[in-house]
Amino acid sequence: MDRSEKLRQRARELLEKKEVVMVIGFGPPSDSGISPVLFATTPEEAENLTASTSCAQNLANYLLKVRDRGRVAVVARGCDARSITVLLQENQLKRENLHILGIGCEGVIENGRKSTACAVCRHPNPTIYDELIGEPVPAPEPDPEILKADQEFEQLSPDERWERLSAELDRCIRCYACRQVCPNCYCPVCFVDASMPQLLGRTHNLSDNMVYHIIRALHMAGRCVECGACHRACPVGIDLMRFNRRVAKTVRERFGCDAGTDLNQAPALTGFKPDDPQEFIQ
Amino acid sequence: MPDAENFEPKIVAFLCNWCSYAGADLAGISRLHYPPSIRVIRVPCSGRVDPFFILQALQQGADGVLVSGCHPGDCHYLTGNFVARRRFAVLNDLLQFCGIEPGRVTFAWVSASEGERFAKLVTEVTEKVKKLGPNRKLKKELP
Ligand code: SF4
Ligand code: SF4
Repeated sequence: MDRSEKLRQRARELLEKKEVVMVIGFGPPSDSGISPVLFATTPEEAENLTASTSCAQNLANYLLKVRDRGRVAVVARGCDARSITVLLQENQLKRENLHILGIGCEGVIENGRKSTACAVCRHPNPTIYDELIGEPVPAPEPDPEILKADQEFEQLSPDERWERLSAELDRCIRCYACRQVCPNCYCPVCFVDASMPQLLGRTHNLSDNMVYHIIRALHMAGRCVECGACHRACPVGIDLMRFNRRVAKTVRERFGCDAGTDLNQAPALTGFKPDDPQEFIQ
Repeated sequence: MPDAENFEPKIVAFLCNWCSYAGADLAGISRLHYPPSIRVIRVPCSGRVDPFFILQALQQGADGVLVSGCHPGDCHYLTGNFVARRRFAVLNDLLQFCGIEPGRVTFAWVSASEGERFAKLVTEVTEKVKKLGPNRKLKKELP
C-alpha cells in the first residue's frame, strides 16, 4: 500500500471511530505543484488527503486555531513536528489533544525547484509522532550554493553587509504575512501592532523595517524550526531564511539547542547555563 | 553636521539598579571623572532590557548603547543576568551579522563596588563610539 493510501486509510479510521474531530493534512497538488491544506472532518473528506509533502504551509499553525475543538489529527513532516514540539513546550497545545501522523518529507517544490529552506533541510523526518506513515527518508545533501552564499555574506565588511540587507529589506512592505504563517509566532498582540505605546512606526521606513526583522528573528531564536513557511509566504520574496539560518546557527553553536527536536530540552532562550560563553561582555 | 574632531557621542546606558547603577553612583561619590556622554536609564535588572530597547535607542538617535548589570552570580534576582546573557549573545551576533559596527552596542558587568571600573568603562565606550562616528545606520530618518 503506498503512503497516500495508508494515510487516507488511517485518517478514515480515526474519523470513523471518532477518535479525532478533524484531520489536518495536504490535499492533492494544484497546477503550481503546491498542495493546499486540507481539513477533513468526515471520512469522505479524508479521501482527498495525499502524502505529497509539497505543502507550502507549516501545519502546526492551524492546530493553534482549532485547539478548542477537541482531539485533532495532523500530518506532520520534520518541521511541522518540530513546531508542534515547540508549541507543546510553551504550553500552547495539549499532547492528549493531538494525534500526530508522522511522515518523512522530500521537501517543498516551488516553481520547479526545492524551496530554499528545504534545500538545506536537516530534519526531514518528524521528531515526534504517534504513528509513522511509510518509511523515514534520508536527509538531503545541503545545497552547496546556499552554504557558499552564506559564507560569502559573512565575510563582507560590516558596511557591505548593511548595504546588502538594507537593499533587501527596503523592499519589505511590512504586510506581516511572514508573521501570520509562522506557527511559533502566536502572541495575541505583536509588538508591531502595539499602539499604547506604539513601539514601531507604521510607515514604510528602512529603520523600522530593519528593526522589525531583527526583532522578529530574535523572537524566533531557539524557536524557529527553519520550515521556510515565512519565506514562501512573502509576496516580495524577502530572503527571510538568511536571518533564520543565522540565528538558528548561533543558538546551536552557543547553547547546543536545536529548536523542537527534543521535547524535554527547554527552548534555548528560556534557560541558561551558569557557564554560558560570554566573550562579548566586558 | 559635527565634524569628527568635535563629535560628542550620545550614549544611552541601561544600568541595573542593584549593581551597575550603584557602581555609577560610587563613581560620582568618589568624584571620578568620565566623559559626559552617557544618558542613564535605570532598570531593575539586566534581564529587564528587551533587545527592542537597545534598537529603539539607536533608532531615536543614540550613537551608542551601553548595557550593564551585575556580574554572573551576583544578580539580585538570582538568575536575571544569566537569562539576559543568552538574549544579548544572540542580539550581539545578529547585530554584527546585519553590519552594525562592533562597539556600537557594549555589554558589561559592573558591580556596586566598581566605581573606578565604571568610570573607565564609560571613557572607553565613549572613545570607541567617537571613532565609529555618528550612528547613521539604524537611526530613523523621517522623510
Ligand atoms: S512577508 Fe515579506 S513583505 Fe511581508 S512583512 Fe514579511 S518580509 Fe515584509
Ligand atoms: S520563522 Fe519562518 S522558518 Fe522559522 S518557524 Fe516561523 S515560519 Fe518557519
